[in-house]
Amino acid sequence: MPGRPTAVGEEPAPTDSSDQSAEEQGAQETPEQRTARFERDAMPLLDQLYAAALRMTRNPADAEDLVQETYLKAYGAFASFRAGTNLRAWLYRILTNTYINGYRKRQRQPVAQPTEEITDWQLAQAAQHTSAGLRSAEMDALDRLPDSDVKDALSQLAEDFRMAVYLADVEGFAYKEIAEIMGTPIGTVMSRLHRGRKQLRDMLTGVARERGFLRDAEVAS
Amino acid sequence: MSCGDPHDTDCSEVLAELWLFLDNECDHQRGELLRRHLDECGPCLEEFGLEEHLKALLARKCGGDHAPDALRHRLRQSIHEIMLRQAVLGAEVIVQQDDDGAIVEVSTTVESHAWLSTES
Repeated sequence: MPGRPTAVGEEPAPTDSSDQSAEEQGAQETPEQRTARFERDAMPLLDQLYAAALRMTRNPADAEDLVQETYLKAYGAFASFRAGTNLRAWLYRILTNTYINGYRKRQRQPVAQPTEEITDWQLAQAAQHTSAGLRSAEMDALDRLPDSDVKDALSQLAEDFRMAVYLADVEGFAYKEIAEIMGTPIGTVMSRLHRGRKQLRDMLTGVARERGFLRDAEVAS
Repeated sequence: MSCGDPHDTDCSEVLAELWLFLDNECDHQRGELLRRHLDECGPCLEEFGLEEHLKALLARKCGGDHAPDALRHRLRQSIHEIMLRQAVLGAEVIVQQDDDGAIVEVSTTVESHAWLSTES
C-alpha cells in the first residue's frame, strides 16, 4: 500500500514501494501470461485431480468443491511455482493439504488413521507364498469384477492407505513423490502401500467370492 | 520361508521386496538379482504375477473419471475474474508522485509500464 506523499526534498522511504513493485512486475510475467500458462499446464490435469478427489471424498459434490478450491489455490500460488518442477505432484500436494485441512474435518464419517510403521517382523510374516493353485483362479476372478466393485473396495480402505495405493497404482507416482504429496517419510509410504494393498487384495478376493466368481474351496485351500 | 529349491536370494527376501520391484523402486543391481530369482522360482513368479495383475487392475478400474463440464467452466470463469482483479490491483499499487508531491495513479498495468519507462 502506498504511504502518504512525502514532502519534496525528503529522503524517500526505504521501501520505495512504487519503484520496487514496478521493477518486480517488469521482471515477472503479467497476470494474463500467468493465466495462459496455468490454462496450458494445469487445466489439462483437471480430470486426474477430480478422479483423485473422488477417491478421497467418496462423493461427487465434495470432490467438485475440493477440486475447485485446489485449483483456485494453485492459481493463486502459481507465480511461485517454478517451471521445470513437477506440476502434477505440486497440484496433488495442494489437493491433499486442502483435503486434510478442510474436507476431512467436515466429513460425517470418522476416518481411522492407522499410521504406525510396519515392522520387519510384519514384513517377514507377509513374505510367504500363498497356497499354490489359488492364484490363477484369483486373478481370473478379480478380472471379472465390475469397476464399481473395485472402486468400492478401494474406498473402504482407511484414508492414508487408500491415498497411498491410489497415488502409486492408479497415478503411478514414485514413492518419493508420494512422500512429498502426503507429507510423510518414504518408510511411511511403503508401510501404507504394503498394508493397503494387502487389505485390498483380501477384500477383492472376498467380493469375488460373494459374486460367485471364486468358489469357497478355491479360497480356503 | 522358501520354496525348497536353493536360490542365491531366499524366497522370503524376494517376496518382501516384490512390491519394491513391481513399483520400480529397486536399484538396478537389486532389481537384476530379483529378476534372476523370479526367472528360476515358479512360486515367487506366480506371486509376482498376481501383484502385478492387481496393480494393473487398479489402474484400469479406479481412474479415468472425468471432471464435470460445469466444474471446468466454473473454474475458468473464476480464474478469469481473479486475473482481471489482479490486473486492476497491480495497476493500483503503482503510484508515483510528481514534483509537486501530488500522487499520480495509473489505471492499467500496461499503461503504467509505458508511463514509467518514459518518465525514468
